[in-house]
Amino acid sequence: MKKSSIFGLIVIAIAIAVIISVYSNSSTYGSFNDAQKTNSELHIVGHLDKQKELFYDATKDANYFSFYMKDNKGEECKVVFTGTKPQDFERSEQIVLTGQMIGKEFRASKILMKCPSKYTQDKVEITEAKAKEASI
Amino acid sequence: MNIDFKGEHLLPGHLGQFFIVLALGSALLSTISYYFATTNTNKFDRSWHNLARIGFYANTVAVVGIGVCLFYIIYNHLFEYYYAWEHSSRSLPVYYIISSYWEGQEGSFWLWAFWQAVLGNVLVWKAKSWEKPVMTIIMLSQTLLASMLIGVELFGQRIGTSPFILLREALNLKESTPIFNTNPEYYKNYLTYIKDGNGLNPLLQNYWMVIHPPTLFLGFASMVVPFAYAIAGLWQKRYKEWIQPAISYSLFAVMVLGTGIIMGSFWAYESLTFGGFWAWDPVENASLIPWLVLVGALHVMVVYKNTGHSYFTAIILVLASFVLVLYASFLTRSGILGESSVHAFTDAGMFWHLVADVVLFLVLAIVLLALRWKELPSTKKDEETYSREFWMFVGAIFLALSCFHLVIVTSIPVWNAMFGTKLAPPTDPVKHYNIIQASFAVVVTFLIGFTQFMKYKKTDITRFFITTVIYLVFAALITALVIYVTGVYKLHFVFILIMVGAIYAILANAKIFADALKGKAKLVGSAVAHIGFGLVMVGALISAGTSKIISENTSGQQFSADFVNAKNDPRENILMYRNTPVQMGKYLVTYVGDSISAPNHYFKVDYKLLDANGKVKEEFMLKPNAQANRKMGLVSSPDTKHYLLSDLYTHVNMSNAITFDEGEQAAAHDEANDDKKYDAPVIYNVAPGDTIPFREGYVLLTGIGRVDHIQNIPIAANDVAIGAKLKVVSHGKTYDAEPVYMIKNGSAFDFARKVDEVGLKFRFSKVIPQNSKIEITLYQQPESQRKWIVMRAIQFPYINFLWSGTIIMVIGILLSIFRRNKELKRVKHIL
Repeated sequence: MKKSSIFGLIVIAIAIAVIISVYSNSSTYGSFNDAQKTNSELHIVGHLDKQKELFYDATKDANYFSFYMKDNKGEECKVVFTGTKPQDFERSEQIVLTGQMIGKEFRASKILMKCPSKYTQDKVEITEAKAKEASI
Repeated sequence: MNIDFKGEHLLPGHLGQFFIVLALGSALLSTISYYFATTNTNKFDRSWHNLARIGFYANTVAVVGIGVCLFYIIYNHLFEYYYAWEHSSRSLPVYYIISSYWEGQEGSFWLWAFWQAVLGNVLVWKAKSWEKPVMTIIMLSQTLLASMLIGVELFGQRIGTSPFILLREALNLKESTPIFNTNPEYYKNYLTYIKDGNGLNPLLQNYWMVIHPPTLFLGFASMVVPFAYAIAGLWQKRYKEWIQPAISYSLFAVMVLGTGIIMGSFWAYESLTFGGFWAWDPVENASLIPWLVLVGALHVMVVYKNTGHSYFTAIILVLASFVLVLYASFLTRSGILGESSVHAFTDAGMFWHLVADVVLFLVLAIVLLALRWKELPSTKKDEETYSREFWMFVGAIFLALSCFHLVIVTSIPVWNAMFGTKLAPPTDPVKHYNIIQASFAVVVTFLIGFTQFMKYKKTDITRFFITTVIYLVFAALITALVIYVTGVYKLHFVFILIMVGAIYAILANAKIFADALKGKAKLVGSAVAHIGFGLVMVGALISAGTSKIISENTSGQQFSADFVNAKNDPRENILMYRNTPVQMGKYLVTYVGDSISAPNHYFKVDYKLLDANGKVKEEFMLKPNAQANRKMGLVSSPDTKHYLLSDLYTHVNMSNAITFDEGEQAAAHDEANDDKKYDAPVIYNVAPGDTIPFREGYVLLTGIGRVDHIQNIPIAANDVAIGAKLKVVSHGKTYDAEPVYMIKNGSAFDFARKVDEVGLKFRFSKVIPQNSKIEITLYQQPESQRKWIVMRAIQFPYINFLWSGTIIMVIGILLSIFRRNKELKRVKHIL
């Protein structure tokens, strides 16, 4: 066998390995119901329940923020985020959470939210908050 | 119905729109003419060529014209134009007006078109026999860019988006502001109600944002040149010749785009608050992807030039690099990344337009490659195993693989759109990217190292192994030392391997550099560039891997019950009350006050380093700032203390000391309301020399004296105004205050004075002549009203390796460009 063919095979093998590892690392979009059933982290899309309490008091704990979110299936759950309250959170119209269920609470490691821009209806802004920066 | 709007300046917009149409028309004309000039077999017929050049020059003029018009509009605050209103404001300093210029999609397309026009001028001047075919491709790309700006309706579909669209066309003013609906007179004069623009996103108000986008876009724009040469080579069947000039332009593109990317990460480090210089955000990846491919392409082009091997890899990578630039621009501009990226552009209605752009150039490349496939120069023989060309080829393939991975992950939203799947990006993307990209980086850094000891064609095997092993052992020893000192050994195994690889690469190339100084000057450029790359790796690894959050709250005081239940989450944000020192790492940190310079609010944070005896060894002040922006909320920017070996990075997440529009706050306070901000007042009867205690210090009455004037109130002969001179001492600092008591026309008044730094208000409320005392009413802000900030501080060790490595790499590539250009000239002499 020629050397280039061997190398070609190695490259193909690596490419396949990459695809598999991406696929296995990628998470899925789900609901709170799905989160109950699994131990792995997943993404949940939903919106803030503005009727219920948003709790953040920096003077008590600067790293604790909790709120209630309704997922796209209408299910509601308390969400706890380890970090400061993202700015303009109240105005968000869509939230994407990353995290997992712990007991009855959803512990979010990342919050991505979309806010309607104050001036223009046609434009949407996105901001992100992360619970902690993963160290490599 | 035509409404005669008042006060609009329509000329610059009309002129600009004219230039856009001219730019599109002339680019198209030039493309077609260059095409026919290339295919024309009659050598003496220059008519097509002349026409093409006329079109090209007209395009350059038009592109510059668009820029001038747009600048005029923004500079003069003509808010009747949507672009000016959306991206700038009156308070913006001139240098940020430049950055507001390219905040929007339109401005950045213009920037791209501008650089492409500049490069076109260089090519028309320099490319000689290559001009016609190469410029055909460049002008085709220019046509597409111009079409992105045109902004006209065609068959009910808007094509492109123009920066000269008017505010009243872009927004439905009548809908958003009902008053315009009811009264046509108001609507006619709508401009008089629009006092100021939206302003520039505070995050972009950074000097790096003035220079980073132009650099990045020059990099993107220059990637079309190697692509155009490759296409021209295929088209004109000059299969071998195109490589030589393409190498020089590729080097240029790699240098500029690389600089642009690092500038972007420096900006992120300096002014964003995610706490680092690289976050694998899709937008960052989008600029890294084409860069990696072009770096790979560059190496195999050099291989081909020297040995005749790797032709196919070279041409495919060059073609792919530009298609990936277009793909990256599709990713970031089409809005498809919406849910996965923080700072991608939102969809401006150009989704299919951008797709068409990618597909057009992709198809062009594939079709030409397929047509000419059989005729391309291929080598029958494999490379020798112990030859430089073989391992450079392997390296290029690995760069392409690492890029393949980036494309796969970054494009997850694209796969979802195409296949209807519901995949989400990895939950911990940083870790995912780090581990996989690190694995590729290990291979690449080792290759950069040992390939230096090989020769083209055939290497003396024994000597190669001896030198390789000696250097490897040496590198391993140095790595052991480095990882011990910096603490990198605590990281994942693969990062330690990169460290060995990067140090090995530095050492091997240092040897080449030393040889080069002795006479083999040819390789000096590549050696320097590789050393720079190695340093970038070392710096990135240490600083990202061992960065430490020092704003940990270890006191346990503020743990809420819910929090204790959660398992050891790192607590990265610390609450600091004003003037209450907190021990943070080795520093004693105090939030000492604020200074406001609209629109920025600076939080003064004092860092003290104490020695064993409690004496201050070092003291410095960091001023992280924030803007309370009505549109975006609190936007904070960090401040960083730079040491030679490490950086200390601080930013404020939240505070009760900052309010919206604080610069404009009127002085008209309602007295009664103001008192509500304080605890119930306490009355003290004091004589000069007496002190009044309060929560955070004491107040000393130093004396009582006549006051000559109070603001603008005239004091007549029989009026009396006396002031109580107070000295407030709190946390080692002294403040003065002088409340005033006045009798005017027989009635008593008093003027309160505040010391906001300590949250006190004083009134000189009465004079008690009997015992020559006075009455001072003290208002103290309640504990909860005390100013606080929530702060995060991170230490980045050895980050300067990263920045200095970049500079060294750029110098190295620059040296290579000089060398290749010299070779080009020599080739021409021989011909």
